Formats: sequence, C-alpha cells, structure tokens
Amino acid sequence: MGINVLEIFEYEFMQRAFLAGMIIAVLASVSGTFIVLRRYSMISETLAHSALVGVAVGIVAGYNPLWMAVIVAIISAWIIEYLRGHFSLYSDAILAIMLSGSLAIAVIIVSLGGAFNNSLFSYLFGSILSVSKEDVITIFVFGSLALGVLLLYAKELYFIAYDEEVAQVSGIKIKFLNFLLVTVVAIIIALSIRVVGSLLIGALMVIPTISALQFKLGFFKTSILSLVFAIISVACGMIFSYYFSLPSGATIVLSVLSIFILSLAVSKK
Amino acid sequence: MPTNFKVPIFDVKNLSYEINGVNILSNISLEIFNAQYIAIIGPNGGGKTTLVRMLLGLDKASSGEIRIFGKKLKDFKDWYKIGYVPQRASHVDANFPGTVLDIVSMGRTSQKGFFAKTTEEDKEAVDSAMQKMDIVDLKNKMIGTLSGGQRQRVVCARALASKPEVLILDEPNTGVDAISQNRFYSLLKELNKVQKITIVFITHDVGVIADDIARLFTVNQKLTTCNNPKQALSCKEMSELYGIDAHLLHNHKHGH
Repeated sequence: MGINVLEIFEYEFMQRAFLAGMIIAVLASVSGTFIVLRRYSMISETLAHSALVGVAVGIVAGYNPLWMAVIVAIISAWIIEYLRGHFSLYSDAILAIMLSGSLAIAVIIVSLGGAFNNSLFSYLFGSILSVSKEDVITIFVFGSLALGVLLLYAKELYFIAYDEEVAQVSGIKIKFLNFLLVTVVAIIIALSIRVVGSLLIGALMVIPTISALQFKLGFFKTSILSLVFAIISVACGMIFSYYFSLPSGATIVLSVLSIFILSLAVSKK
Repeated sequence: MPTNFKVPIFDVKNLSYEINGVNILSNISLEIFNAQYIAIIGPNGGGKTTLVRMLLGLDKASSGEIRIFGKKLKDFKDWYKIGYVPQRASHVDANFPGTVLDIVSMGRTSQKGFFAKTTEEDKEAVDSAMQKMDIVDLKNKMIGTLSGGQRQRVVCARALASKPEVLILDEPNTGVDAISQNRFYSLLKELNKVQKITIVFITHDVGVIADDIARLFTVNQKLTTCNNPKQALSCKEMSELYGIDAHLLHNHKHGH
C-alpha cells in the first residue's frame, strides 16, 4: 500500500485537502486542549451547528459559505459568552439551546432557498473533493491568526483552565480571555467544516486531548501528544476517505476514536 | 521593598454585602497592616469567605469602600502583590495535566508580557517558592498523584511564586491529615516571621495557631477584632456569642 499512499498526492485536490487537513489538525488539537480542560467540550458542537447557519446563508445567497460560517460562528460564540455572563442560566443548557436553535434556522434557510443538495451534504460530513484553492487560503490565513492568538495567551489560558478565580485574582483579564478563546474556537470550527464537517468537528477538537490526557503527562507534553494524535487521525482519515470514497469527516473521526480506544487500553496497564 | 507602615494593606470601611435582601455582612470596617498574621474565624455561613472574596474583588460589595495598598479596589492593578489560596485548593482534578512545576509557574503568569520568555527571575522565584513550601523534590510529579497535604503546599507555592506581600488563605486544609496541617502551619509561621509576609488565614483550627497570630477577626455578619487572640479564645462568651465550635477552645487548652 506504500506506493498507493504516495499516489494520492498526484492529485491536486488531494494536495489541497491534505494541506487544509493538516492545518485543521493543528488548530483543532491546540484549541481543543483549552476547551476540554475548561469542561467546555460541548461548545465545539454548538458552534459547529451555528456555523451551518452561515453555510446556509452562503449557499442560498451566493456568498462564500466558509466566510459566512466564520462570521456566524463568532456571533454565536459571543452570544453564548454574553448569556453565560449576564443571566443565571446553566452553561450546558445555553449550549443545548443554541445548538438546536442554530440547526433549526439553518434548515429553514436551506429549505426556503431550495438548497438541499450534495453541496450541503459535504458541509455536514466533510469532503476531500470540495476543498478549493480559495478554501486553503482562507483556512491558512484565518488559521494562522487563530493559532497565533492561542500561543500568545497559552500561559494565561492554561492558568484559567486550572482555576478561573485564582487566575482572576492574580490579575489576569478573565472576561477578555474567555471571549478571545470562544472567538478563536468559533473561527477554527468554521474553518474545519470543509474537511471534517459540522456534525463531526467536535470530535476532532475533543478526542485528541482526551486521549493524550490518559497518559498523565505535564501540560506541554500533553499538548504535543494531542497534536500528534490529531495529525495522525486526519492523515489516516483522508487516506481512507480517498480509497473507500467515504466522507472525510467520518473517516477522520473513526481514526481519532481508534486512537482514543488504544490510549485507554495502553494507559490502563 | 517593605510597604509603608502608615498605609494599611487592606483598608475597609463600612462594607456591607447582601444577596436577595439577606444581609450576609453588615458594616464591616477593618485595617490590615504589613507583616501581620491575622486569623479569621466564625461559624459556617457567617460570611468569612464572602469577606475575603470582596477583598479580592471576586464579589462586589453592596456598599462601603475597600482600599488595597492605599488604592481603591477598582483602581488597584498590582495583583501580584496578593497571593490567594482558595477553599478548594487541595481538591485538584486528578486528571489535570500539570506537574508541580507547571502549577507553581502559573504564579508568574500575570507578570508576563506577550511572547515573554521565562526569565532567570521567574525561575528563581519559582524555585524559591518551592523551597519555602518544601516541595522541591516533587517538582516533576503530576499534581493529581499528590496527597492532600502536598497539594496544599503546591497551591501555596503557586501563590508565593509571584512574590506577594500578602497571602490570603481560605481554609485550604480540608481533607488534609493532622501531621501535614501542623507542618503547613509552621511553614506559614516562618513566612510571616522570617519573610515578613502578611498572612490572612480563614481557619477552623485557630487554637493550634493561637501563638503565631497577631490579631483575630471573628466574622458572623458583623466583625469583631481582637488584638489579643489567646485571651479571646479562652473567653467563654466569645465562643457562645459566635457559635464557634467548642473544639477550638479545647485544642487551645491542649496545645499548652
């Protein structure tokens, strides 16, 4: 199979998909580490569904769906943070409400626009065939910005994940950083739905970190391990997607799930 | 640099806190000066934790004024001068990916600029904090694998890493065995006596540290200040008035 694996890179669409996939693997795992440690895993699911509203608007109105997804996901993230800060609602309930609300809006927009088709399907489950050159550029530009912000504030975000109040007392700007984190996560999720699909991106954010946590290592090593897991999953997932003509999001998630099960088994010893 | 003795570290005037119409604290005024060791006692629900949270800006007072190092709370920026060890300190998530070094290093975070590298000064501060709390040999251990007493010292070292002038501890010793607690108390005493760090300590164990502390605050909606803690503790009316557990007095007697 060794020769065959190299063969897939002869296709330009595969080169694009791989490039986009690798960037997304890095972004999803790095941001996922902070999200998981803050017990905020479900926000990725919610924002992914919100991003679908953007995709729906994009498809129906003829704008770039990826751009629209980024914008709507950011707005949704801000609404979630605002609700969390200003109303005494349970965080997980807010996420559940926003998730179903977004999906309902997306479905209505798509229905009214008569756009229930394959193009929408690819946004739900990811597709290696659909990554355009423009998409790669968008993913690279926004992705670099998002990663830059995460690395810039990595120490602060780690401290907040450990204990938000103690971090606040030590002078860290909690509100600002919470908004920043959800904004960056919203951008990353919106960018990822091209390759992983909005119904499956949550798994790529959460599972690499959860798997890495099983090995009980320090923060830096855990982050690196999570990154490695994400990259392996995306690479394997894309190769399977190519060979078996399956939606790439599904094959990526199954790959990362396999890594999770292996991690559980190995760390139990 | 030692803080000017004239300016209290905490200067609180007529502080009240009410929630849903219920008065938790009313009309609290107090001053805490440099290098004092202060214990805060009082019944559960009496408002000890709320008082400390207001001093730290975590809860907002309904009325009254708080000044820290002479500045109004909202204008105060030098938070690294204050080390905070919260109630749940020793209950760290067992899966949290952090070594003792990772956790203690957090104490340096707020003094960093963007992209700032760890400087020699940071390293020195983290090492010295670990030495003070006697956890240097645990440096590379995962926080989740430590005992309650060890975690307590780690969390305290994190607070010390910012080189604070005040250390505020809110009953950090729940779930910690007696030997570890006594060791912790002697470390606190040393911080106060040798390093001249001001300590504000909410505790149930005031009998054990009665010899170390300079002043005693009793909080039960109102605040009573006592500059002769040992005398106050042996006073029967005090325990009846504030509903302090009888074992405090008991401990004290046994300690001497």
